[in-house]
Amino acid sequence: MESPIVALAESPADGVIDFAGLLRRKGLLAAAPGFPSSAGNFGAPAQTQATTILAFKFQGGVLVAGDRRATAGNTVVYDRADKVLEIDRHSIMAIAGVPATAWEMARVLEHSFQFFRRTQLQEMSVDGKVRALSKLLRDNFGFVMQGVGMVVPIFATHDPGADPAARLYFYDAMGANFEVTDYAATGSGSPAVRGILYYENNWGKKPLLKLNEDEAVTVALRALDTAAESDTATGGVDRNARIFPVIKIVSSKGITTLADKQIAALFKKGVA
Amino acid sequence: MIEEPYRWVEAVANRREYIEAQLAGGSPIAAVGYREGILFLTLGRTRQKLFEIYDRVAMGAIGHPGDIERLRMAAIELASTEGFTRSAADVSLRRLAYYSLSPVLKAAFEQIYGAPYLARMLFAEIGERPEDDLFLRVDYDGAIATNGATFSETQQDFGVLSGTRVSTELMESYLKQEHKSGATLQEALDVTLNAWIVGHMALGEDGARELPGNEAIAAERKNQLTTIGVEATILERNATVAIRYRPLTEEEIRPLN
Repeated sequence: MESPIVALAESPADGVIDFAGLLRRKGLLAAAPGFPSSAGNFGAPAQTQATTILAFKFQGGVLVAGDRRATAGNTVVYDRADKVLEIDRHSIMAIAGVPATAWEMARVLEHSFQFFRRTQLQEMSVDGKVRALSKLLRDNFGFVMQGVGMVVPIFATHDPGADPAARLYFYDAMGANFEVTDYAATGSGSPAVRGILYYENNWGKKPLLKLNEDEAVTVALRALDTAAESDTATGGVDRNARIFPVIKIVSSKGITTLADKQIAALFKKGVA
Repeated sequence: MIEEPYRWVEAVANRREYIEAQLAGGSPIAAVGYREGILFLTLGRTRQKLFEIYDRVAMGAIGHPGDIERLRMAAIELASTEGFTRSAADVSLRRLAYYSLSPVLKAAFEQIYGAPYLARMLFAEIGERPEDDLFLRVDYDGAIATNGATFSETQQDFGVLSGTRVSTELMESYLKQEHKSGATLQEALDVTLNAWIVGHMALGEDGARELPGNEAIAAERKNQLTTIGVEATILERNATVAIRYRPLTEEEIRPLN
Protein backbone atom coordinates (compact mmCIF):
# COMPACT_ATOMS: atom_id res chain seq x y z
CA MET A 1 0.00 0.00 0.00
CA GLU A 2 2.94 2.27 -0.70
CA SER A 3 1.68 4.63 -3.35
CA PRO A 4 -2.03 5.22 -3.04
CA ILE A 5 -2.00 8.59 -4.77
CA VAL A 6 -0.75 7.04 -7.98
CA ALA A 7 -3.56 4.51 -8.03
CA LEU A 8 -6.27 7.04 -7.25
CA ALA A 9 -5.10 9.76 -9.60
CA GLU A 10 -5.79 7.65 -12.65
CA SER A 11 -9.00 7.87 -14.58
CA PRO A 12 -11.02 4.67 -14.87
CA ALA A 13 -10.40 4.81 -18.61
CA ASP A 14 -6.90 3.44 -18.12
CA GLY A 15 -7.99 1.13 -15.33
CA VAL A 16 -6.09 -2.12 -15.43
CA ILE A 17 -8.08 -5.29 -15.90
CA ASP A 18 -4.96 -7.37 -16.33
CA PHE A 19 -3.39 -8.00 -12.93
CA ALA A 20 -0.01 -8.93 -14.40
CA GLY A 21 -0.06 -5.57 -16.20
CA LEU A 22 -0.76 -3.80 -12.90
CA LEU A 23 2.19 -5.57 -11.26
CA ARG A 24 4.48 -4.63 -14.12
CA ARG A 25 3.39 -0.99 -13.91
CA LYS A 26 4.24 -0.99 -10.22
CA GLY A 27 7.54 -2.76 -10.86
CA LEU A 28 6.51 -5.86 -8.91
CA LEU A 29 6.95 -8.40 -11.69
CA ALA A 30 10.31 -9.17 -13.29
CA ALA A 31 10.34 -8.48 -17.01
CA ALA A 32 11.88 -11.29 -19.03
CA PRO A 33 15.09 -10.38 -20.83
CA GLY A 34 15.05 -10.01 -24.59
CA PHE A 35 15.94 -12.98 -26.76
CA PRO A 36 19.71 -13.62 -26.81
CA SER A 37 21.49 -12.89 -30.07
CA SER A 38 23.19 -16.28 -30.21
CA ALA A 39 21.02 -19.27 -29.52
CA GLY A 40 21.79 -21.42 -26.50
CA ASN A 41 23.49 -20.62 -23.24
CA PHE A 42 25.79 -23.18 -21.77
CA GLY A 43 26.69 -21.13 -18.70
CA ALA A 44 23.35 -21.43 -16.90
CA PRO A 45 23.78 -23.01 -13.44
CA ALA A 46 21.99 -26.22 -12.51
CA GLN A 47 18.51 -25.07 -11.49
CA THR A 48 16.10 -26.60 -9.09
CA GLN A 49 13.60 -28.62 -11.12
CA ALA A 50 10.28 -30.16 -10.22
CA THR A 51 9.37 -33.29 -12.11
CA THR A 52 6.58 -35.54 -13.28
CA ILE A 53 3.01 -34.49 -12.99
CA LEU A 54 -0.03 -36.18 -14.46
CA ALA A 55 -3.74 -35.58 -14.79
CA PHE A 56 -6.62 -37.52 -16.23
CA LYS A 57 -10.39 -37.38 -16.33
CA PHE A 58 -12.33 -40.05 -14.46
CA GLN A 59 -15.91 -40.53 -13.24
CA GLY A 60 -15.60 -37.95 -10.46
CA GLY A 61 -13.93 -35.14 -12.43
CA VAL A 62 -10.23 -34.61 -13.08
CA LEU A 63 -7.51 -36.17 -10.96
CA VAL A 64 -4.22 -34.27 -10.80
CA ALA A 65 -1.17 -35.85 -9.19
CA GLY A 66 2.48 -34.97 -8.76
CA ASP A 67 5.44 -36.59 -7.05
CA ARG A 68 7.24 -34.61 -4.37
CA ARG A 69 10.85 -34.46 -5.56
CA ALA A 70 12.75 -31.34 -6.60
CA THR A 71 16.22 -31.74 -8.10
CA ALA A 72 19.10 -29.55 -9.27
CA GLY A 73 21.36 -31.34 -11.70
CA ASN A 74 21.80 -34.76 -10.13
CA THR A 75 21.17 -33.56 -6.56
CA VAL A 76 17.89 -34.13 -4.78
CA VAL A 77 17.05 -30.72 -3.32
CA TYR A 78 13.76 -31.37 -1.64
CA ASP A 79 11.48 -34.35 -1.11
CA ARG A 80 8.29 -32.59 -0.07
CA ALA A 81 7.72 -30.19 -2.96
CA ASP A 82 4.11 -29.43 -3.80
CA LYS A 83 3.69 -29.27 -7.56
CA VAL A 84 -0.10 -29.40 -7.63
CA LEU A 85 -1.31 -25.89 -6.86
CA GLU A 86 -4.84 -24.62 -6.34
CA ILE A 87 -5.49 -21.46 -8.32
CA ASP A 88 -9.14 -20.89 -7.44
CA ARG A 89 -12.15 -22.88 -6.22
CA HIS A 90 -12.29 -24.91 -9.44
CA SER A 91 -8.84 -24.68 -11.04
CA ILE A 92 -5.57 -26.48 -10.49
CA MET A 93 -2.20 -25.76 -12.05
CA ALA A 94 0.35 -28.56 -11.81
CA ILE A 95 3.97 -27.81 -12.65
CA ALA A 96 7.02 -29.50 -14.03
CA GLY A 97 10.08 -27.31 -14.39
CA VAL A 98 11.65 -24.59 -12.29
CA PRO A 99 9.65 -24.04 -9.08
CA ALA A 100 10.89 -20.47 -8.61
CA THR A 101 9.17 -19.43 -11.83
CA ALA A 102 6.25 -21.82 -11.50
CA TRP A 103 5.21 -20.78 -8.01
CA GLU A 104 5.45 -17.13 -9.01
CA MET A 105 3.30 -17.88 -12.07
CA ALA A 106 0.75 -19.67 -9.89
CA ARG A 107 0.63 -16.65 -7.57
CA VAL A 108 0.17 -14.20 -10.42
CA LEU A 109 -2.49 -16.43 -11.94
CA GLU A 110 -4.40 -16.85 -8.68
CA HIS A 111 -4.43 -13.11 -8.10
CA SER A 112 -5.30 -12.40 -11.74
CA PHE A 113 -8.48 -14.48 -11.61
CA GLN A 114 -9.58 -12.89 -8.34
CA PHE A 115 -8.62 -9.41 -9.47
CA PHE A 116 -10.71 -9.88 -12.61
CA ARG A 117 -13.74 -11.12 -10.66
CA ARG A 118 -13.50 -8.33 -8.09
CA THR A 119 -13.03 -5.48 -10.54
CA GLN A 120 -15.25 -6.70 -13.37
CA LEU A 121 -17.93 -8.26 -11.14
CA GLN A 122 -18.01 -11.48 -13.16
CA GLU A 123 -16.02 -14.72 -13.16
CA MET A 124 -13.34 -15.03 -15.84
CA SER A 125 -14.30 -17.58 -18.50
CA VAL A 126 -12.43 -20.88 -18.70
CA ASP A 127 -10.97 -19.84 -22.05
CA GLY A 128 -9.84 -16.59 -20.47
CA LYS A 129 -8.11 -18.47 -17.66
CA VAL A 130 -6.43 -20.90 -20.03
CA ARG A 131 -5.23 -17.97 -22.13
CA ALA A 132 -3.94 -16.09 -19.05
CA LEU A 133 -1.54 -18.95 -18.28
CA SER A 134 -0.46 -19.02 -21.94
CA LYS A 135 0.39 -15.35 -21.71
CA LEU A 136 2.52 -15.85 -18.57
CA LEU A 137 4.46 -18.66 -20.25
CA ARG A 138 4.93 -16.59 -23.37
CA ASP A 139 6.20 -13.64 -21.30
CA ASN A 140 8.65 -15.99 -19.58
CA PHE A 141 10.09 -17.30 -22.85
CA GLY A 142 12.94 -14.77 -22.80
CA PHE A 143 14.19 -16.45 -19.62
CA VAL A 144 13.75 -19.91 -21.12
CA MET A 145 15.92 -18.91 -24.12
CA GLN A 146 18.61 -17.82 -21.64
CA GLY A 147 18.47 -21.31 -20.22
CA VAL A 148 16.68 -20.50 -16.98
CA GLY A 149 13.16 -20.79 -15.62
CA MET A 150 11.50 -23.27 -17.96
CA VAL A 151 8.02 -24.32 -16.81
CA VAL A 152 5.73 -26.86 -18.46
CA PRO A 153 2.36 -26.87 -16.66
CA ILE A 154 -0.90 -28.75 -16.75
CA PHE A 155 -4.12 -26.86 -16.10
CA ALA A 156 -7.31 -28.60 -14.93
CA THR A 157 -10.63 -26.94 -14.26
CA HIS A 158 -14.37 -27.47 -14.00
CA ASP A 159 -16.50 -25.66 -16.56
CA PRO A 160 -20.23 -26.04 -15.80
CA GLY A 161 -21.06 -24.72 -19.26
CA ALA A 162 -19.16 -27.48 -21.06
CA ASP A 163 -19.90 -31.15 -21.68
CA PRO A 164 -18.07 -32.90 -20.10
CA ALA A 165 -17.61 -30.24 -17.43
CA ALA A 166 -14.07 -31.42 -16.66
CA ARG A 167 -11.50 -29.59 -18.81
CA LEU A 168 -7.84 -30.48 -19.02
CA TYR A 169 -4.94 -28.72 -20.80
CA PHE A 170 -1.22 -29.09 -21.08
CA TYR A 171 1.21 -26.43 -22.27
CA ASP A 172 4.60 -26.17 -23.89
CA ALA A 173 7.28 -23.79 -22.66
CA MET A 174 6.33 -21.17 -25.26
CA GLY A 175 2.76 -20.99 -24.06
CA ALA A 176 0.85 -23.08 -26.59
CA ASN A 177 -2.11 -24.74 -24.86
CA PHE A 178 -3.43 -28.14 -25.87
CA GLU A 179 -6.77 -29.38 -24.62
CA VAL A 180 -6.87 -33.14 -24.10
CA THR A 181 -9.85 -35.47 -23.90
CA ASP A 182 -8.40 -38.09 -21.55
CA TYR A 183 -5.03 -37.52 -19.92
CA ALA A 184 -1.88 -35.39 -19.82
CA ALA A 185 1.59 -35.79 -18.28
CA THR A 186 4.66 -33.58 -18.34
CA GLY A 187 8.10 -33.56 -16.72
CA SER A 188 11.08 -35.89 -16.94
CA GLY A 189 9.15 -38.97 -15.86
CA SER A 190 6.30 -38.34 -18.26
CA PRO A 191 7.24 -40.83 -21.04
CA ALA A 192 6.66 -43.72 -18.64
CA VAL A 193 3.50 -42.15 -17.25
CA ARG A 194 2.10 -41.52 -20.72
CA GLY A 195 2.78 -45.16 -21.63
CA ILE A 196 0.86 -46.38 -18.60
CA LEU A 197 -2.07 -44.03 -19.07
CA TYR A 198 -2.32 -44.92 -22.76
CA TYR A 199 -2.25 -48.61 -21.91
CA GLU A 200 -4.85 -48.27 -19.13
CA ASN A 201 -7.13 -46.16 -21.29
CA ASN A 202 -7.11 -48.60 -24.22
CA TRP A 203 -6.54 -52.04 -22.77
CA GLY A 204 -7.08 -51.66 -19.03
CA LYS A 205 -10.14 -53.13 -17.28
CA LYS A 206 -12.03 -49.97 -18.18
CA PRO A 207 -11.19 -46.67 -19.84
CA LEU A 208 -9.90 -43.89 -17.51
CA LEU A 209 -13.18 -41.96 -17.81
CA LYS A 210 -15.08 -44.90 -16.26
CA LEU A 211 -12.82 -45.33 -13.22
CA ASN A 212 -14.15 -44.57 -9.76
CA GLU A 213 -12.08 -42.55 -7.29
CA ASP A 214 -10.20 -45.45 -5.67
CA GLU A 215 -9.35 -47.00 -9.03
CA ALA A 216 -8.23 -43.64 -10.39
CA VAL A 217 -5.93 -43.00 -7.42
CA THR A 218 -4.44 -46.49 -7.79
CA VAL A 219 -3.67 -45.87 -11.47
CA ALA A 220 -2.06 -42.51 -10.60
CA LEU A 221 0.10 -44.09 -7.89
CA ARG A 222 1.18 -46.94 -10.18
CA ALA A 223 2.07 -44.47 -12.92
CA LEU A 224 4.20 -42.30 -10.62
CA ASP A 225 5.88 -45.36 -9.11
CA THR A 226 6.75 -46.58 -12.61
CA ALA A 227 8.16 -43.16 -13.53
CA ALA A 228 10.32 -43.16 -10.40
CA GLU A 229 11.63 -46.63 -11.28
CA SER A 230 13.60 -45.33 -14.29
CA ASP A 231 13.77 -41.55 -13.76
CA THR A 232 16.03 -40.45 -10.90
CA ALA A 233 14.41 -37.03 -10.82
CA THR A 234 10.99 -38.48 -9.94
CA GLY A 235 10.33 -39.21 -6.28
CA GLY A 236 7.42 -41.61 -6.68
CA VAL A 237 6.44 -42.94 -3.28
CA ASP A 238 9.01 -42.83 -0.50
CA ARG A 239 8.21 -46.07 1.31
CA ASN A 240 10.58 -45.44 4.23
CA ALA A 241 9.74 -41.83 5.00
CA ARG A 242 6.11 -42.39 4.01
CA ILE A 243 6.04 -39.44 1.63
CA PHE A 244 3.17 -39.79 -0.79
CA PRO A 245 2.40 -37.88 -4.00
CA VAL A 246 0.03 -34.94 -3.83
CA ILE A 247 -3.31 -35.89 -5.37
CA LYS A 248 -6.14 -33.44 -5.90
CA ILE A 249 -9.51 -33.86 -7.57
CA VAL A 250 -11.45 -31.12 -9.38
CA SER A 251 -15.20 -31.64 -9.58
CA SER A 252 -18.40 -29.61 -9.55
CA LYS A 253 -18.03 -29.38 -5.76
CA GLY A 254 -14.65 -27.71 -6.03
CA ILE A 255 -11.22 -29.11 -5.23
CA THR A 256 -10.59 -32.01 -2.86
CA THR A 257 -7.13 -32.80 -1.58
CA LEU A 258 -6.72 -36.48 -0.76
CA ALA A 259 -5.50 -37.19 2.76
CA ASP A 260 -2.17 -39.05 3.09
CA LYS A 261 -3.99 -41.75 5.05
CA GLN A 262 -6.36 -42.47 2.16
CA ILE A 263 -3.48 -42.54 -0.33
CA ALA A 264 -1.44 -44.78 1.97
CA ALA A 265 -4.30 -47.29 2.22
CA LEU A 266 -4.79 -47.43 -1.55
CA PHE A 267 -1.04 -47.66 -2.06
CA LYS A 268 -0.84 -50.64 0.26
CA LYS A 269 -3.77 -52.33 -1.43
CA GLY A 270 -3.02 -51.65 -5.07
CA VAL A 271 0.64 -50.83 -5.54
CA ALA A 272 3.08 -51.99 -2.87
CA MET B 1 -11.00 34.84 -4.39
CA ILE B 2 -9.09 32.10 -2.66
CA GLU B 3 -6.38 34.41 -1.28
CA GLU B 4 -8.48 35.20 1.76
CA PRO B 5 -8.78 32.36 4.27
CA TYR B 6 -12.39 33.20 4.92
CA ARG B 7 -13.25 32.69 1.25
CA TRP B 8 -11.60 29.31 1.32
CA VAL B 9 -13.60 28.24 4.33
CA GLU B 10 -16.73 29.48 2.63
CA ALA B 11 -15.87 27.64 -0.58
CA VAL B 12 -15.29 24.40 1.31
CA ALA B 13 -18.56 24.87 3.20
CA ASN B 14 -20.43 25.42 -0.07
CA ARG B 15 -18.86 22.35 -1.51
CA ARG B 16 -19.86 20.34 1.57
CA GLU B 17 -23.43 21.56 1.23
CA TYR B 18 -23.45 20.62 -2.45
CA ILE B 19 -22.10 17.11 -1.83
CA GLU B 20 -24.46 16.50 1.11
CA ALA B 21 -27.38 17.46 -1.15
CA GLN B 22 -26.15 15.05 -3.81
CA LEU B 23 -25.82 12.18 -1.31
CA ALA B 24 -29.04 12.92 0.59
CA GLY B 25 -31.18 10.55 -1.47
CA GLY B 26 -28.79 7.60 -1.21
CA SER B 27 -30.29 4.28 -0.18
CA PRO B 28 -29.01 3.24 3.28
CA ILE B 29 -26.72 0.28 3.85
CA ALA B 30 -26.52 -1.69 7.10
CA ALA B 31 -23.89 -4.19 8.19
CA VAL B 32 -24.00 -6.31 11.34
CA GLY B 33 -21.95 -9.04 12.91
CA TYR B 34 -23.86 -12.30 13.42
CA ARG B 35 -22.97 -15.75 14.72
CA GLU B 36 -20.99 -16.91 11.67
CA GLY B 37 -19.77 -13.66 10.18
CA ILE B 38 -20.78 -10.23 8.95
CA LEU B 39 -23.91 -9.44 6.93
CA PHE B 40 -24.26 -6.47 4.55
CA LEU B 41 -27.73 -5.50 3.38
CA THR B 42 -29.36 -2.82 1.27
CA LEU B 43 -32.35 -2.39 -1.01
CA GLY B 44 -32.23 -1.10 -4.54
CA ARG B 45 -33.68 -1.19 -7.98
CA THR B 46 -30.81 -1.81 -10.34
CA ARG B 47 -27.30 -0.81 -9.47
CA GLN B 48 -25.09 -3.13 -7.43
CA LYS B 49 -24.06 -1.40 -4.21
CA LEU B 50 -22.19 -4.13 -2.30
CA PHE B 51 -18.76 -5.20 -3.48
CA GLU B 52 -15.91 -7.59 -2.74
CA ILE B 53 -12.60 -5.80 -2.10
CA TYR B 54 -10.40 -8.64 -0.90
CA ASP B 55 -10.60 -12.03 0.81
CA ARG B 56 -11.88 -10.61 4.11
CA VAL B 57 -13.00 -7.10 3.12
CA ALA B 58 -16.34 -5.97 1.71
CA MET B 59 -17.59 -2.51 0.73
CA GLY B 60 -20.92 -0.82 0.27
CA ALA B 61 -21.21 2.67 -1.20
CA ILE B 62 -23.59 5.44 -2.18
CA GLY B 63 -22.86 8.39 -4.41
CA HIS B 64 -21.93 8.97 -8.02
CA PRO B 65 -21.30 5.68 -9.83
CA GLY B 66 -18.18 7.06 -11.53
CA ASP B 67 -16.60 8.11 -8.24
CA ILE B 68 -17.58 4.91 -6.47
CA GLU B 69 -15.98 3.00 -9.31
CA ARG B 70 -12.67 4.90 -9.02
CA LEU B 71 -12.50 4.39 -5.26
CA ARG B 72 -13.51 0.75 -5.51
CA MET B 73 -10.84 0.09 -8.17
CA ALA B 74 -8.22 1.88 -6.07
CA ALA B 75 -9.14 -0.17 -2.99
CA ILE B 76 -8.99 -3.44 -4.95
CA GLU B 77 -5.68 -2.53 -6.60
CA LEU B 78 -4.10 -1.61 -3.27
CA ALA B 79 -5.37 -4.71 -1.49
CA SER B 80 -4.43 -7.01 -4.37
CA THR B 81 -0.88 -5.73 -4.75
CA GLU B 82 -0.39 -5.93 -0.98
CA GLY B 83 -1.79 -9.46 -0.90
CA PHE B 84 0.42 -10.45 -3.82
CA THR B 85 3.71 -8.94 -2.69
CA ARG B 86 3.33 -9.84 0.99
CA SER B 87 0.44 -12.08 1.97
CA ALA B 88 -3.33 -12.03 2.35
CA ALA B 89 -2.80 -11.68 6.10
CA ASP B 90 -1.04 -8.34 5.52
CA VAL B 91 -4.04 -6.80 3.79
CA SER B 92 -5.62 -4.61 6.45
CA LEU B 93 -8.76 -2.52 6.17
CA ARG B 94 -7.49 -0.14 8.84
CA ARG B 95 -4.35 0.63 6.85
CA LEU B 96 -6.27 0.82 3.58
CA ALA B 97 -8.73 3.37 4.96
CA TYR B 98 -6.49 5.49 7.20
CA TYR B 99 -3.30 5.59 5.14
CA SER B 100 -4.56 5.33 1.58
CA LEU B 101 -8.17 6.37 1.08
CA SER B 102 -8.63 9.07 3.70
CA PRO B 103 -5.71 11.36 2.71
CA VAL B 104 -6.67 11.18 -0.95
CA LEU B 105 -10.35 11.94 -0.26
CA LYS B 106 -9.43 14.86 1.97
CA ALA B 107 -7.04 16.30 -0.60
CA ALA B 108 -9.62 16.03 -3.39
CA PHE B 109 -12.30 17.57 -1.19
CA GLU B 110 -10.24 20.59 -0.16
CA GLN B 111 -8.63 21.39 -3.48
CA ILE B 112 -11.55 23.49 -4.50
CA TYR B 113 -10.59 23.87 -8.16
CA GLY B 114 -10.69 20.11 -8.63
CA ALA B 115 -13.60 17.72 -8.45
CA PRO B 116 -14.28 16.03 -5.11
CA TYR B 117 -15.34 12.41 -4.79
CA LEU B 118 -19.11 12.17 -4.53
CA ALA B 119 -19.15 9.01 -2.48
CA ARG B 120 -19.69 7.65 1.00
CA MET B 121 -18.46 4.16 1.77
CA LEU B 122 -19.02 1.52 4.41
CA PHE B 123 -16.32 -1.13 4.78
CA ALA B 124 -16.18 -4.23 6.93
CA GLU B 125 -13.36 -6.66 7.61
CA ILE B 126 -13.96 -10.05 9.16
CA GLY B 127 -11.52 -11.04 11.91
CA GLU B 128 -10.56 -14.33 13.50
CA ARG B 129 -12.88 -13.55 16.43
CA PRO B 130 -15.95 -11.29 16.59
CA GLU B 131 -13.96 -8.78 18.68
CA ASP B 132 -11.58 -8.37 15.75
CA ASP B 133 -14.32 -7.42 13.28
CA LEU B 134 -13.90 -3.93 11.93
CA PHE B 135 -16.59 -1.64 10.52
CA LEU B 136 -15.48 1.65 8.93
CA ARG B 137 -17.46 4.45 7.32
CA VAL B 138 -15.31 6.63 5.06
CA ASP B 139 -16.81 9.93 3.94
CA TYR B 140 -16.21 12.13 0.90
CA ASP B 141 -13.97 14.45 2.97
CA GLY B 142 -11.83 11.62 4.30
CA ALA B 143 -13.50 11.50 7.70
CA ILE B 144 -13.63 8.01 9.18
CA ALA B 145 -16.12 6.63 11.68
CA THR B 146 -15.42 3.22 13.22
CA ASN B 147 -17.34 0.74 15.33
CA GLY B 148 -15.64 2.04 18.44
CA ALA B 149 -13.41 0.25 20.92
CA THR B 150 -11.68 3.55 21.67
CA PHE B 151 -11.18 4.90 25.18
CA SER B 152 -14.54 6.60 25.27
CA GLU B 153 -16.88 4.16 23.55
CA THR B 154 -17.58 0.48 23.73
CA GLN B 155 -17.30 -1.58 20.63
CA GLN B 156 -20.34 -2.13 18.45
CA ASP B 157 -20.71 -5.03 16.07
CA PHE B 158 -22.45 -3.05 13.34
CA GLY B 159 -21.90 -0.21 10.92
CA VAL B 160 -24.34 1.86 8.88
CA LEU B 161 -24.34 4.29 6.01
CA SER B 162 -27.04 6.63 4.78
CA GLY B 163 -27.69 9.80 2.79
CA THR B 164 -28.24 12.09 5.77
CA ARG B 165 -26.91 12.43 9.30
CA VAL B 166 -30.36 12.03 10.87
CA SER B 167 -30.98 8.84 8.96
CA THR B 168 -27.56 7.44 9.92
CA GLU B 169 -28.08 8.22 13.59
CA LEU B 170 -31.54 6.69 13.69
CA MET B 171 -30.24 3.50 12.07
CA GLU B 172 -27.45 3.35 14.64
CA SER B 173 -29.79 3.79 17.57
CA TYR B 174 -32.17 1.19 16.13
CA LEU B 175 -29.36 -1.37 15.81
CA LYS B 176 -28.02 -0.48 19.24
CA GLN B 177 -31.43 -1.36 20.64
CA GLU B 178 -32.46 -4.32 18.53
CA HIS B 179 -29.35 -6.10 17.30
CA LYS B 180 -28.00 -8.88 19.51
CA SER B 181 -24.49 -10.19 19.03
CA GLY B 182 -24.58 -13.90 18.34
CA ALA B 183 -27.75 -13.56 16.24
CA THR B 184 -28.45 -16.19 13.59
CA LEU B 185 -28.30 -15.24 9.91
CA GLN B 186 -32.10 -15.10 9.77
CA GLU B 187 -32.27 -12.77 12.78
CA ALA B 188 -29.48 -10.64 11.33
CA LEU B 189 -31.28 -10.38 7.97
CA ASP B 190 -34.42 -9.33 9.76
CA VAL B 191 -32.80 -6.66 11.91
CA THR B 192 -30.69 -5.17 9.09
CA LEU B 193 -33.74 -4.95 6.86
CA ASN B 194 -35.61 -3.12 9.63
CA ALA B 195 -32.61 -0.83 10.13
CA TRP B 196 -32.70 -0.07 6.40
CA ILE B 197 -36.41 0.76 6.68
CA VAL B 198 -35.70 3.08 9.64
CA GLY B 199 -32.95 4.80 7.64
CA HIS B 200 -35.15 5.08 4.59
CA MET B 201 -38.06 6.57 6.55
CA ALA B 202 -35.74 9.27 7.91
CA LEU B 203 -34.63 10.47 4.46
CA GLY B 204 -36.12 13.57 2.86
CA GLU B 205 -37.45 16.89 4.13
CA ASP B 206 -40.47 15.40 5.87
CA GLY B 207 -38.79 12.19 6.98
CA ALA B 208 -38.94 10.75 10.48
CA ARG B 209 -36.86 12.54 13.11
CA GLU B 210 -37.12 9.90 15.81
CA LEU B 211 -37.34 6.12 15.81
CA PRO B 212 -40.64 4.93 14.29
CA GLY B 213 -42.64 2.30 16.17
CA ASN B 214 -42.46 -1.38 15.27
CA GLU B 215 -45.82 -1.30 13.53
CA ALA B 216 -44.81 1.62 11.33
CA ILE B 217 -41.59 -0.18 10.45
CA ALA B 218 -43.46 -3.39 9.58
CA ALA B 219 -45.95 -1.53 7.38
CA GLU B 220 -43.22 0.36 5.52
CA ARG B 221 -41.22 -2.84 5.13
CA LYS B 222 -44.13 -4.59 3.46
CA ASN B 223 -44.65 -1.60 1.22
CA GLN B 224 -40.96 -1.37 0.16
CA LEU B 225 -40.50 -5.08 -0.52
CA THR B 226 -43.26 -5.05 -3.12
CA THR B 227 -41.38 -2.53 -5.25
CA ILE B 228 -37.63 -2.98 -4.73
CA GLY B 229 -35.25 -5.85 -4.20
CA VAL B 230 -32.92 -6.87 -1.38
CA GLU B 231 -29.18 -7.09 -2.01
CA ALA B 232 -27.26 -8.94 0.68
CA THR B 233 -23.78 -10.35 1.03
CA ILE B 234 -21.79 -12.00 3.81
CA LEU B 235 -18.23 -12.36 5.04
CA GLU B 236 -17.96 -15.84 6.56
CA ARG B 237 -15.74 -16.25 9.61
CA ASN B 238 -15.01 -19.95 9.51
CA ALA B 239 -15.02 -20.66 5.81
CA THR B 240 -12.51 -23.32 4.77
CA VAL B 241 -11.46 -21.19 1.81
CA ALA B 242 -9.43 -17.97 1.82
CA ILE B 243 -12.16 -15.90 0.19
CA ARG B 244 -14.76 -15.15 2.84
CA TYR B 245 -16.96 -12.88 0.70
CA ARG B 246 -20.13 -14.44 -0.69
CA PRO B 247 -23.30 -12.79 -2.01
CA LEU B 248 -26.44 -14.40 -0.57
CA THR B 249 -28.58 -16.35 -3.00
CA GLU B 250 -32.24 -15.72 -3.81
CA GLU B 251 -33.23 -18.68 -1.61
CA GLU B 252 -31.36 -17.30 1.37
CA ILE B 253 -32.97 -13.87 1.06
CA ARG B 254 -36.49 -15.07 0.27
CA PRO B 255 -37.68 -15.65 3.88
CA LEU B 256 -37.68 -11.86 4.31
CA ASN B 257 -40.60 -11.44 1.92
